[in-house]
Amino acid sequence: MAVKRKIIKERVPTPEMPAEERIKSFAEVNLGYTFELAVKEAERCLQCPYNYAPCIKGCPVHIDIPGFISKLVQYRDDPDKAVKEALNVIWACNSLPATTGRVCPQEDQCEMNCVMGKVGDKINIGKLERFVADYAREKGIDEELLFEMIPKIEKKGQSVAIIGAGPAGLTAAGELAKLGYDVTIYEALHEAGGVLMYGIPEFRLPKSIVESEIDKLKKLGVKILTDHIVGRTVTIEELLEEYDAVFIGSGAGTPRLINAPGINLNGIYTANEFLTRVNLMKAYLFPEYDTPVKVGKKVVVIGAGNTAMDAARSARRFGAEVTIAYRRGPEDVSARVEEVEHAKEEGIKFEFFVNPVEFLGENGKVRAVKFEKMKALDERDSRGKRKIVGTGEYVEIEADTVIIAIGKHPNRLIVNTPGLKVERGRIVVDENLMTSIPGVFAGGDAIRGEATVILAMGDGRRAAKAIHEYLTKKREGNA
Amino acid sequence: MPYKILEKKEIAMRNIWYKIHAPHVAKKVKPGQFVIVRAFKNGERIPLTPVMWDRDEGWVVLITFIRGKTTMRMANELKPGDELLNVAGPLGNPAEMEKFGKILAIGAYTGIVEVYPIAKAWQELGNDVTTLHVTFEPMVVLKDELEGAVSRHILETVPIDPNLDFPANMKNVTKRLTEKVRELLEKEDWDLVFMVGPAGDQRAVFNVVKEFGIPMKSDLHPIMVDGTGMCGACRVTVGGEVKFACIDGPEFDAYQVNWDELIARSGYYTDMEQRAMQEYMKALQGGEQ
Ligand SMILES: Cc1cc2nc3c(=O)[nH]c(=O)nc-3n(C[C@H](O)[C@H](O)[C@H](O)COP(=O)(O)OP(=O)(O)OC[C@H]3O[C@@H](n4cnc5c(N)ncnc54)[C@H](O)[C@@H]3O)c2cc1C
Ligand SMILES: Cc1cc2nc3c(=O)[nH]c(=O)nc-3n(C[C@H](O)[C@H](O)[C@H](O)COP(=O)(O)OP(=O)(O)OC[C@H]3O[C@@H](n4cnc5c(N)ncnc54)[C@H](O)[C@@H]3O)c2cc1C
Ligand code: SF4
Ligand code: SF4
Ligand code: FES
Repeated sequence: MAVKRKIIKERVPTPEMPAEERIKSFAEVNLGYTFELAVKEAERCLQCPYNYAPCIKGCPVHIDIPGFISKLVQYRDDPDKAVKEALNVIWACNSLPATTGRVCPQEDQCEMNCVMGKVGDKINIGKLERFVADYAREKGIDEELLFEMIPKIEKKGQSVAIIGAGPAGLTAAGELAKLGYDVTIYEALHEAGGVLMYGIPEFRLPKSIVESEIDKLKKLGVKILTDHIVGRTVTIEELLEEYDAVFIGSGAGTPRLINAPGINLNGIYTANEFLTRVNLMKAYLFPEYDTPVKVGKKVVVIGAGNTAMDAARSARRFGAEVTIAYRRGPEDVSARVEEVEHAKEEGIKFEFFVNPVEFLGENGKVRAVKFEKMKALDERDSRGKRKIVGTGEYVEIEADTVIIAIGKHPNRLIVNTPGLKVERGRIVVDENLMTSIPGVFAGGDAIRGEATVILAMGDGRRAAKAIHEYLTKKREGNA
Repeated sequence: MPYKILEKKEIAMRNIWYKIHAPHVAKKVKPGQFVIVRAFKNGERIPLTPVMWDRDEGWVVLITFIRGKTTMRMANELKPGDELLNVAGPLGNPAEMEKFGKILAIGAYTGIVEVYPIAKAWQELGNDVTTLHVTFEPMVVLKDELEGAVSRHILETVPIDPNLDFPANMKNVTKRLTEKVRELLEKEDWDLVFMVGPAGDQRAVFNVVKEFGIPMKSDLHPIMVDGTGMCGACRVTVGGEVKFACIDGPEFDAYQVNWDELIARSGYYTDMEQRAMQEYMKALQGGEQ
């Protein structure tokens, strides 16, 4: 395609619901591209060569980004074909594009070094990826592609147990099923999806999308046992007797708390509890749904990661006045840029350099948070963040609801497995993602602490490969 | 993962017995553990306790006291042959199985059903177990089972005074409970007191036990959501430290528990629970007309 194109500097915008409307509902904020808009955006891509393209290098799973983008342009007259071809390229590296297209921190990954950035706006890779996945799902193109794949799968006669149905476990399961293994997922909750289901809110990642991804896995023959808590219902040792290999994708689900007086006052939620009530249990539809949640008039969210943004924006949708309080400065906010912008548009206030020291209550219920004012030094810590110190000055912020979003630890039931090497709460793995127990592999937040969806998926994919090699040896050894 | 209801019956006023096909739980459950049940698509996840089970046949018995909307809906809408949507578990730590000696195991109201498997196992281990059940007259459950399982089963029933509202009636139970415990502690020597029941009654009993300095364990029932250590809803302060009852408990040393906090936290949603119940009742009445 030696068509000469002129450079179009500006991004084709994706329509969004106006802020004043969206704070009244949990409907998705970003409405995504239509085919026409997607092609327009795709045309802007300079089609950097595969070996050079900085976008591919920036994507943790190295999707052939110019490759999939070019299909949209190439088959512009046949949208279904364009999308099918594009999806095929994406699927070679990423089986959950509808999700990653929505939740990846693109500005730090694929889009970070996009060449177009030197002359204009970077290519909107995330939204294009999302478009391909959404269009494919709506038109049943993804299933078509899947059904073409299924007959080619050669059964291996070996089985793998997966612990946890988050992005790491789901990806590992899908890849292993495609390689011909019998796969069973053990999931503690009543629904598969991990953080995608219980943590990330509907307005950012509609649950129907996650459900459709899980449906596809089932079509691949993956069995999902919900309500099974590994460490209680069944142990890893027992799984090893029944299966040829095990993958741990149990995430980092245990919330960290602030060690300050008053932490157990009523009205103080961990972000996990708050988001689980709202997302998984649909408390925003109470009393049609039975699970209650209490959002007061003044909500303070502590922390500034994605979790904090999600909690704050969810609380805002209950009509509360919401403040995000962070002990560091604006440059250290770790949430995705889009989320921070959306939060601001929705009227969420930010307070920087404040560190909670006490929760003040009345009749067992929180009424305010006492913070110490912090200041930043020039010196930086190991993660490159400026060090902060207390100033000895305090402020009180009124709050009838407080949401703690300062991070999480890996699930304790798993890390207590005898013989499983764990450091600082994280499962230790070798370069093949194998743990200290032979035949037991791990990935995602369980080995990284809190990371990202795409890193968890990347681990799932890598582990599937390693498990395949391990089981191939085992198979041949036994033959 | 649906779980079939094999039997359902009302074994006493507001006490419903469900025999559920749940082989994964039946295979593993130990006394002191619980499950989380979700019965309806738009329903809550609620913790309940396997009271009896058969590992080979793959069933467990759950007994609910009708308290609010979920337990009420279960009683009204489920029949044998129907399925529970989810039974997750077993969860929580099993009760410590040791030779403690002479044990007083107390259940207030339907709490006695949770005492049953633990008391039975303690007795089988060689302990001398006395169970005490204090409840309203029409709410007696598991009397025969307990009499068959432990050295001595004491039943103390309190009549329901129709002229008093429910909270006032409950005060009478608390009174009888503490009086009876005091009498037993004064008359005999005990090595351990154990209790399941409303947090307020547990605290009232603890205040008596404390005077005698006898070790006491309590099964705590804070509000739970996931039951797997993921949400922190169930946090309690024990010995000055924050614990998650679902993975660190549910059994704790009564002397270390911050009772005021537990009681305050348990009541946080009372207004919403009442609203849910009222709307449910209204819908029921509307439906019947
Ligand atoms: C609110 C929130 C917002 C986020 N936003 C973003 C974002 O925008 N972009 C991004 O890239 N990342 C985001 N993240 C991070 C991202 O979601 C995680 O890094 C990712 O989900 C990790 O995947 P995982 O598969 O390792 O674990 P999880 O998604 O945590 O899944 C683990 C699963 O294992 C199950 N499990 C745990 N213990 C057991 C057990 N003992 N037995 C059986 N099952 C068990 C859990 O129930 C869960 O379903 C966010 C996280 C949160 C909490
Ligand atoms: C470990 C454990 C074991 C239990 N075992 C039994 C049992 O065997 N039989 C039985 O009848 N009850 C048991 N319970 C209590 C049972 O969970 C509550 O009765 C039930 O949740 C009430 O739900 P509801 O909708 O009917 O009432 P609601 O109107 O929702 O609540 C009434 C009261 O029940 C308590 N409660 C409500 N929701 C929860 C929740 N999600 N988790 C814990 N407590 C809650 C609160 O104190 C509340 O004020 C147990 C609780 C725990 C924590
Ligand atoms: S997976 Fe994430 S980082 Fe990779 S191309 Fe897609 S949006 Fe970008
Ligand atoms: S770096 Fe940008 S312009 Fe180059 S191929 Fe990737 S998306 Fe296209
Ligand atoms: S119930 Fe969620 S952590 Fe215990």
